[in-house]
Amino acid sequence: MIAYFARRSAYMALILILSSIAIFYSLRFAPGDPTGTSLNPLTIASVRQHIRHELGLDRPVYRQYFDYVGNVFQGDLGHSLVTGASIGELLKTHGKNSLILGFTALALSYLIAVPLGVLAAVKRNSWLDQLSMGGAVLGMGIPNFWLALLLVWLFSLQLGWLPSAGCCSVSQLILPAVVLAAEGTAVTMRMVRASMLEQLNQEFVRTLRAKGLPEWQIVGRHVLRNALIPVISLTGLRLGWIVGYTLIVETIFQRPGVGFLRVDSVLRRDYPVAQFFALLLVFFVVSANWLAEIGYGLANPRIRRA
Amino acid sequence: MSAYPEERVAWEQQVERLRQERPTPLRDAWYLLSRNKLALVGSLLALFFALVGLFAPMLEPHSPARQDLFNTFERPFHSWHHVLGTDQLGRDVFSRLLEGIRISMGVGLLTTLAVLVVGTVAGMVAGYYRGWIDTVINGFVEMVWGFPLILVAVIIAGAIGPGLTAVIAAVAFINWAGFARIVRGEVLALREKEFVAGARALGKGDVEIMVKHLLPNVIGSALVMGSYYVAVAIIVEAGLSFIGLGAQPPTASLGQMVADGRNYLQLDHWIATVPGITIVLVVLSLNLLGDGLRDVLDPRLKRER
Amino acid sequence: MREGETVALVGESGCGKTMTALSILKLVPDPPAKITGGEILLAGRDVLRIDEREMRSLRGDRVAMVFQEPLTSLDPVFTVGDQLVEVVLAHRGTSEVEARALALEVLNEVQMPSAERRLKAYPHELSCGLRQRVMIAMALILDPMLLIADEPTTALDVTIQAQILDLIRVEQERRKLAVLLITHNLAVVRQIAERVAVMYAGEIVEAAPTDEIFENPRHPYTQGLLRSTPTLDEQREYLVDIPGRVPDLRLPPPACLFAPRCSFALARCWQQQPQLADDSAGHLLRCWNPQQFAAIERTEAYDAER
Repeated sequence: MIAYFARRSAYMALILILSSIAIFYSLRFAPGDPTGTSLNPLTIASVRQHIRHELGLDRPVYRQYFDYVGNVFQGDLGHSLVTGASIGELLKTHGKNSLILGFTALALSYLIAVPLGVLAAVKRNSWLDQLSMGGAVLGMGIPNFWLALLLVWLFSLQLGWLPSAGCCSVSQLILPAVVLAAEGTAVTMRMVRASMLEQLNQEFVRTLRAKGLPEWQIVGRHVLRNALIPVISLTGLRLGWIVGYTLIVETIFQRPGVGFLRVDSVLRRDYPVAQFFALLLVFFVVSANWLAEIGYGLANPRIRRA
Repeated sequence: MSAYPEERVAWEQQVERLRQERPTPLRDAWYLLSRNKLALVGSLLALFFALVGLFAPMLEPHSPARQDLFNTFERPFHSWHHVLGTDQLGRDVFSRLLEGIRISMGVGLLTTLAVLVVGTVAGMVAGYYRGWIDTVINGFVEMVWGFPLILVAVIIAGAIGPGLTAVIAAVAFINWAGFARIVRGEVLALREKEFVAGARALGKGDVEIMVKHLLPNVIGSALVMGSYYVAVAIIVEAGLSFIGLGAQPPTASLGQMVADGRNYLQLDHWIATVPGITIVLVVLSLNLLGDGLRDVLDPRLKRER
Repeated sequence: MREGETVALVGESGCGKTMTALSILKLVPDPPAKITGGEILLAGRDVLRIDEREMRSLRGDRVAMVFQEPLTSLDPVFTVGDQLVEVVLAHRGTSEVEARALALEVLNEVQMPSAERRLKAYPHELSCGLRQRVMIAMALILDPMLLIADEPTTALDVTIQAQILDLIRVEQERRKLAVLLITHNLAVVRQIAERVAVMYAGEIVEAAPTDEIFENPRHPYTQGLLRSTPTLDEQREYLVDIPGRVPDLRLPPPACLFAPRCSFALARCWQQQPQLADDSAGHLLRCWNPQQFAAIERTEAYDAER
């Protein structure tokens, strides 16, 4: 167990370091910089040069990198080159919004996927099974931006039940969370069903029946526990994809969140914001995967007590 | 010593007949495929879209980028000139749709094909040789595998500028790991089996073993994953184009078209719904194809082993 | 079967021994199999008429079963102790503490070293032999009247095999337990069975007390089985086999199922199905043309023929 833990942690650290370097460099790789997008295009070259020097943009890239890392560890996350706002502040407000959205979506997807997946497996080939699996295939197929448009059209424009954009009330959370949860729910549901079916075919189920245990105990206690173990590793992946899709969903629903910042800052070449939040998201994804792997190791006694 | 009554003769004839009716793998595949009608439909649809994408330039009645500001917002099915109507700039929706399908299928299929090859080779090499090569390759796989494609695409778009290239690069960067992972796992299991040791004992070279023995067993899973991954690539490309980081106007990516039409949902909805439904159909068909492939290849694989 | 009697059910792989055993507990997997008729009498009652609820109370309590592969037959995510306790809790309304005490007691009885510690172990942490002891403990914990052991030693080393067989014999004497032992290993049968039933292609073809079967087998199949077991005190050149293969039951022979492979088949054997008849002193036989068994001369002739 310790070895497993150590190995995964080493990977995590390695990825983070490499990613930070990659992100840092890649942003400065492309032509153009903030002075191009945020200043008046008629600014004289010498003034532009002066501003570049002020912002430290004319120094060698690796120096900029180390300075940046140093600053981050001292708590100075920098400022937006475009708006001047403190990134720390941005993190607090936008980060909170994204976290709420993300976790709501995650919770929603598991609350729906696990029970449905289990029921679909237990009542295999019943109408419930066909319907859920059909829904799952559809959920995997509809791109979330289109689903968003569809739901907005239905619930906002036609029925007027829910708002179509903005933040931060509960009613404004519903549509984005549903859209964000859709794909994950579909995939998780299929996985749960497949895992349950596999476990139901295992030999130990026969032993349990021979012991005279009631069926609900066999399925609910034994089969479910075994079946959910691989699903735990999946959670890391799910979280990662939710992070990814947040970029799109927040942009569509105009929620001021981390994803929206990311997209926006890339389009405006706002280096500090872009790189910080890129790194933050990468960190989040890697941690989620790491936690999922640790969780898997804890849940599976064969690894826990190797 | 033993008797040979007619009952025995009759029985032995029946057994012989039963034995000769043994089904071939091809019949098995056909049987399975025909039972799963949905997968069949999906496969045909996917094929259809691929062909459409391939021949799009020849099928387009107009240039997708041609604007006709006197003819904006024409409704679909009103004239043969613009079968699916025009958008807010007077561009022919049908032509743009074809172009969009071409882009989606092109990006999806080609990149995934390349990635499949790279990933499968990497997985086989890693699983077969083990040792340091496995550690290196697997290290990369583990690092890259959990990343959401969209995030990477946005980051790359930040680096090299928005556009299809960013999407392609992101797909190339991330998706190979999925193939490598699966293939490596299968090779690890397969190499323990006797036929590998047997082949080695016969003096066959490593490459020959990998190509002739391991590859056929592994290609099935790779293809199943491949169809799902094409769908994923298409969704990501569409999504990215939608928020403006993918294909840039006037290129008619399906995602771009939906973005264009998003403001006109109340009255002129077809600008967004036509490409939207098309994306759904394309992705759905690919998913169904993947499911169908899995059903066909799985039991056969199990029997072959 | 009589109380306290050990009966062995012998036959090739796939001849239906496991299915027969599962039928006693009505554990036949449906689909793909189904019980269509007949009767199974347990302490005077026809099992096939008992409803599922009552069956469940019988399983594990009055009739218990032990399977071949202890690793896959035990739930990997629950401890040994948990799995023992749950049988008790399912059938008796005792408290958990009492159940645990009972578990410890039965583990000691099956001679599990460091039983106290093992209660907290997971199945994968024990060796094969110990796991099988756990299975036996689990079966005996509620003091059943019948123990069905489906190839309990096939997956074990020869030395462990002897220990497990000993254990079964000891327990049987102590608890007046009836044991139905399913195996394809004739040596095992010789060691602990009092009566033997030989199965072929789903039918019992011969049944008799153990000594009788080994000294005076009448059915050609039984004779073939005995002859094909190599022993150390014979001089052989070739291994003896029974020519042919088990019939495909989609198209069984029209009368006696063994006829195609029998060297003594008469015309009658192809025309009329032999029934199981009691010829004398508890020796059941299903054959139209039983033969006298002469082991040694036959084998020399066999060698000469080859």
